[in-house]
Parts: sequence; C-alpha cells; structure tokens
Amino acid sequence: MSQTSIVAAKQDVIEIADIVLEQAYNPPKSIEINNVTVNFKTPKGIYTAVKDIDLSVKKGEIVSLIGHSGCGKSTLMGTISGMVQPTSGEVYANGTKVNSPGPDRGIVFQNYSLLPWLTVYKNIYVAVDSAVKDISASEKARLVETNLKMVNLWEHKDKLPGQLSGGMKQRVAIARAFSINPRILLLDEPFGALDALTKSAMHIELLKLWNLDNREKTIVMVTHDIEEAIFLSDKVVVLNNGPAATIKEIVDVPLKRPRNKKDIVHDPKYMEIHDRLLNLLIAKFSIDDEH
Amino acid sequence: MKQLFSVKSLMSVVYFLAGMVIMGGIWALIAKITKNEIPTPLATWAVFKDVMHHPFQNDADQKGIGTKLLSSLARVSIGFGLGSIFAIPLGLIMGGSKIAMKIINPMVQILKPVSPLAWFPLGLAIFQDSPKASIFMIFICSLWPTLINSAFGASHVPQDHKNVSKAFGFSTWKYLTKILLPFSLPHIITGLRLSIGIAWMVIVAGEMLSGGIGLGNFVWEEGFNGGSTAKILVAIIIIGIVGSLLDKCFTWLQQKFSYAV
Repeated sequence: MSQTSIVAAKQDVIEIADIVLEQAYNPPKSIEINNVTVNFKTPKGIYTAVKDIDLSVKKGEIVSLIGHSGCGKSTLMGTISGMVQPTSGEVYANGTKVNSPGPDRGIVFQNYSLLPWLTVYKNIYVAVDSAVKDISASEKARLVETNLKMVNLWEHKDKLPGQLSGGMKQRVAIARAFSINPRILLLDEPFGALDALTKSAMHIELLKLWNLDNREKTIVMVTHDIEEAIFLSDKVVVLNNGPAATIKEIVDVPLKRPRNKKDIVHDPKYMEIHDRLLNLLIAKFSIDDEH
Repeated sequence: MKQLFSVKSLMSVVYFLAGMVIMGGIWALIAKITKNEIPTPLATWAVFKDVMHHPFQNDADQKGIGTKLLSSLARVSIGFGLGSIFAIPLGLIMGGSKIAMKIINPMVQILKPVSPLAWFPLGLAIFQDSPKASIFMIFICSLWPTLINSAFGASHVPQDHKNVSKAFGFSTWKYLTKILLPFSLPHIITGLRLSIGIAWMVIVAGEMLSGGIGLGNFVWEEGFNGGSTAKILVAIIIIGIVGSLLDKCFTWLQQKFSYAV
C-alpha cells in the first residue's frame, strides 16, 4: 500500500468517525416546532390556545408536555399529529412539514378511541390496512399478531372493546399505534383514566416497547401527572396556563435508564426535579393559617 | 335452554296470560253491556275456527284468510323494501353532509306530516292500478322514520371515531364501512322498526280503499258488508298479532346490532 493511499484511508476513517460521533452527540431532529400559534374560532370570537411555541425534539427522545387542564397541551400535540393546523408557524416531523396526519406518526388517544363494533384484532387490522401500504395481507396479519402479543393481549384478540378493562383497552390502543411502526409516537394523556396501579404497570410496559425498538421511536406525551412525566421522559415541557399558553420552562430529566420505579424516587436528582416541577405548576402549597 | 325455563321466564309467561285474561274479561263485559252486538270472546273463537278452516284456500271466488294475510304482507314487504332501499342511503347522505341536510330536510319536513291515505289517490293516478297504488302508499310512508333515523345516526358519529379515521388515513370506503355504517346501524334499525309499524297500520286502510285481496279487504267486505262483527274482531286480532311479531323481529335485530361502548 502506498503512502498516499494510507493517508487517504486514514482520512476516510476520520470522516466516518466524525459522522458517527456527530450523530451520537447530535441525533437528527425528529420534531421541530417553529413559532407556532393556534387560534380557534368560537362563537365568542377568536380564542388563542397556544402562542409562539418553539420546541425541538431529538430522535429517540421521550418528551412530556405538562400543564393545567385546558392549557393547550393537547392542541400543541395536535399540531404535531396534524389533527390541528397551526394558525401561524410551522411544524416539521421527520424532516417534512406537517399538513395532515400521516403513518409516520402514531397516535394514542385520550379515551382509547377503539371502534366498539370491531374485535381487538380487527381494530388493529383496519389501522394497519389503511396506514401501511405495499405489504401483503399475510404480512399485515403478522404485524397485528406481533403487536398484540407484545402487549399480552393475543388471547383476547376476538373480544370487543366493551368486554375489556380500561388498562386493556389502552394496551390495544398502544398496540395499534405501534403496529403501523411510526417513527414518532404521540400519546394524549394516555394513562389519565387508569387507576394508579394499572398506570404504573403501563409505564413499564411502554418503556419496554420503546426498548424493544432500540429506543429509536420519539415519544411525545401529554400528561398532568408529575411523577409519570419524570419517570418516563428525557425532557418535561411545562406550559403556562391558557389562553394563549406559552412554554414556561423546559426541565431536563438526566436520570439514567433503565429507571427503576421503586428506586428512582429516592434519587436526590429525582426529588430536585420533582420540586422544580411542583414549583412551576402549583402556586400555593398549603392553606394560610389565620391566627 | 336453562334460561328458557328459569323462574323469571316462567313468571313472564304468567304475567302475559294474566294480561290476556284481563283483556278477555273486559271484552266479555263489553259484549254483555252491548247485548252481544259485539260478540263474546267465545262466539268470536267459533268464527275464528271457521275462518281458519281453509286458511290457504285460493279459488277465484273464495280466498282463505291466510292467502289474504300473505297478500297483505307481500304488499307491505315490497313497499317497505323499496322505501328502505331509498331511505337508508339518502338518510346517510343527509347525516353525512350539512349541505345535503339543508337541501333535503325542508322537503322531508313538508312531506312527512301528510297522511299516508292522501298519497293513495296520487298513486292511483300515476299507476292506474289499485294494488300498485297501495304499494306506493306504503313506500311513501315507510320512508320518513328510516330517513330521519339514518340521518340522525350518520350525523352523530363521535369525533373520536372520526379521529381514528383521520389518524390512520382511512379511505372513504373504509370510513363508510368501518365507521359510518356500523355506528348508524342501530339508528337505521330503529327507523326500520318504526317504518314497518306504520306500513302495517297503513296497509289495512289502503286495502279498504283499493279493494284488492288482503286483510283490509277482509275487514271491509266480509266483516262490515257481510254483517259479521265477529269477523272484524278476528281480523283485528290477526292484524294485531302479526304487527307485534313484525315489531319483535326488528327488536331482535336491534339487540343483535347494538354494542357495548
């Protein structure tokens, strides 16, 4: 090998290493929200739900949007899913401008939104059939099977949603969103209607699914549960109260993964973040004693 | 089978019989007060057996009650069937589109309150044939409840279901078959149930006017003109039982197609 070719090869290696490191330190942007404002027309005039929002989410990140009821969390998320059109500003998902919902973004709705006349299996199958093009019927069937087995509902595949508990319905909804293999997963208060125990189990379940997929899916979740937000997220976006809600603060959650539900609460960093979020969200911590 | 013979179902049979006995008692009392101008249940029973002697007799001059009943049912089925084929899609379109609703609704509101009997002479003028005119009348009057209920169903598809369709990119065909139609189905069946009830009520009047073979004709010709009040009562009972059976069919359909949310 001549001297020059060794130099050239070295150069190549360095370049490749640069690209790899660059991606490791700065993973590609998964979601970009640029200066987004959303107005709604109401009988009483124009209502501004969210105003001047800038937010970017990296690939594989889990981000929670938190705030009081009616602060526009869901509206903001709707601009990512494409269900809500921003009045001004734009949203990019996976590098393309969001104009409408698309199969690169899977949505889990607040109230499960399963079709009550279809079995668990068919609920997922119709979604796969519509969203995933260019694969055969047997491949679609396999996708449904894999995802139902992943959430441990395969033996319930022939039941109607009305025969399932809330937690099971939510697992179906999550399996449905995963089965179209979206790069971004959007969860709108996914665990809000569940009891505390089921909720905890579902958190682990969600992280398990995310792990199985090599942590490559970006997850954005709307919630009003501080513990849930910290346990799951890399970043917690705190919104001001609406109308015209803006971002109050973005709190990083630098806790190591995998996180342990039991141990994490004793971590001083966890407590610090928990306090910070409480302070941001709650104005008063006790009643004033009158003497 | 276990459920069929449970105490609960036995009791409902007992209550049913109690109701029948009370009705028979009131009937007997009326017969007594009118000095048998209205025949007693027993006398009517004798006529009933007589009428039922050759139920499906189908000679040119002599037709059995069963033949007449089937002839009435056939007319109702044709009119009701045509009406439903017309009303269900139109109702779904009305419910699905606000513009279609605004265009069609005024027509419906004007035509709906018109008595079915008023349509009969129009049918006669159009078809020049009285059996066809009674089918036309059934067709018209079984339109409205189906139309209105289908439209109601289609216009109340929950936003949640629409969101699913949007989020997963359902085609129009998929939206129609997997969301709009299944959601509207219980409402459509309610409409059909109301329609068949009206159709069955109207056919008797129609056949009285048209004079074709049927139950209405039986009431009028053999009962009233034939001077046999008992035959009128027999006809009333048959009409009532068949009507309630038709209603039961649609109640069964309604239960079959309702779903837990």
